[in-house]
Amino acid sequence: MSIVIEARGLTKNFGKFTAVDNVSFTIEQNRIYGLLGRNGAGKTTIMQLLTGQDFASSGDIAVFGQSPVENANVLANVSFIKESQKYPDNFKAKHVFAAAPSFFANWSQELADQLIVEFRVPMGRDVKKMSRGQVSAVGVILGLASRAPITFFDEPYLGLDAVSRQLFYDRLLEDYAEHPRTIILSTHLIDEVSDLLEHVILIDEGRILIDSNAEDLRGSASTVVGKSRDVAAFVEGRDVIHRDGIGGLSSVTINGQLSQAERVAAVEAGLELVPVSLQQLIVRLSSLETSEGTVK
Amino acid sequence: MTTTVATPTLTPPSEFSRILHVMRLHLVNRQVYIGIPWLILGGVFVLSLIIALLINYATGDPTGSKLGMQYSWAVISPLWYLAAVAVLAISQSFPFALGFGVTRRDFYLGTSLLFVTSSVVNAIALATLALIEESTDGWGIGAKMFTSLFFDGTWIANFFVYSVVQLGIFFIGACIATVYMRWRVMGMLVFWFGFALVLVGTIALITLTDNWGPVGGWLVAQGTVGIFAWLLLLVALAAFFGYFILRRATPKN
Repeated sequence: MSIVIEARGLTKNFGKFTAVDNVSFTIEQNRIYGLLGRNGAGKTTIMQLLTGQDFASSGDIAVFGQSPVENANVLANVSFIKESQKYPDNFKAKHVFAAAPSFFANWSQELADQLIVEFRVPMGRDVKKMSRGQVSAVGVILGLASRAPITFFDEPYLGLDAVSRQLFYDRLLEDYAEHPRTIILSTHLIDEVSDLLEHVILIDEGRILIDSNAEDLRGSASTVVGKSRDVAAFVEGRDVIHRDGIGGLSSVTINGQLSQAERVAAVEAGLELVPVSLQQLIVRLSSLETSEGTVK
Repeated sequence: MTTTVATPTLTPPSEFSRILHVMRLHLVNRQVYIGIPWLILGGVFVLSLIIALLINYATGDPTGSKLGMQYSWAVISPLWYLAAVAVLAISQSFPFALGFGVTRRDFYLGTSLLFVTSSVVNAIALATLALIEESTDGWGIGAKMFTSLFFDGTWIANFFVYSVVQLGIFFIGACIATVYMRWRVMGMLVFWFGFALVLVGTIALITLTDNWGPVGGWLVAQGTVGIFAWLLLLVALAAFFGYFILRRATPKN
């Protein structure tokens, strides 16, 4: 196991607002990470801190063991195309792609050319006149073709249609298989990327809620459905993250792996166990604080 | 499982190549720094010749336009465009370059190298055009464009003055843009009010101490080249501050 990024006690304040609040985590080499969370959770800020685009208020960041701030040794290994990436007003798409190769030692022109055709990027059009989806496609192509050892994708698919999103996931996996690298992807469309992610870091209000292997996470919560009394008896003493009920029936989501014996017990009690998707789990966990007060 | 810290996979190019890459990044769209300024200048030159011919026709003197055109501002018309270019180099190309993993330092040095190169190359061309204008007696019709305003010295003096004017537009424009990049609207407010205060304060000081005479005398004593040498000092200050302001700037959304 090799660590490419380590953050310890990372904090970023904007005036009185704490965007990132004493966060610590590590990123291992050549894995695909999902940086998940709601709007304004602090995902982009964390990425900006990790790439030296912004300055931490306190805490340490080590990328390849060094601070990324103004460090060409680190930044030569990094590609970070923001969701809100600015392109010069006087640049057409062809100018963006003409400029990119000299900044990325691993740049693959072949892959870029292929993706430009597949994503139907209008090369002769000013970037500022492109649709949101076309601008996103430019960013996605830069991120993939740069083949940077650490590649950040910040909400890469805003405005991309379903076909283009699928294309992005497919090309990302194919290219990752041939050229392993560390990929950190922030996204709202959790179900769509759920199979892609190897590790999930969930951020809410600047703090880490989950930092876990995606595989463990997928089986880590279940929803128990059945008669209210039976459900209540079964979930007694467990970590309940969501409750729903109509009449005498209820549906309760519990956090934590269930053993085989427990599963058998649930079925014998006439309860149904429904797997919880990554997206549902994350929605439940991130909304826990706000919904807690209304739980019956 | 042992945990080790990964070493960087790729080593960056030498510092000088990185700076050259930034310079090339600005020049990917050739129109911005080369095409459009010379297009403006070419257009203005044609207009100046037409105006000179009109004046000659009206005065009945084939060199009649000479005196009136001494105060033509035509030659500095591309400068307003270049001021906008300098601001955009910071406000748009800076956030763009950071996405490509460029450090602020390399970005500023590469951009500065571009500013200097562009100013010097343009100044060589303009000073040479001034020399031709001089030796052809105003393109044969007494027209004045490249030798107008304060650009009427020797080739070397013209080269110097043209260089300083362009460097000033680039570096002062970029410096103001870095203030915005670092401190946003509040920075702009403080900067412009501060600037206005200093200006008014200086005028008040000279007026109240009744020193306009000596100030005027001092300016005359400096001569054109001398005054532009002082301006070059101001440009150097703007370049210096621009660097340190940008080193802590963040490309916010």
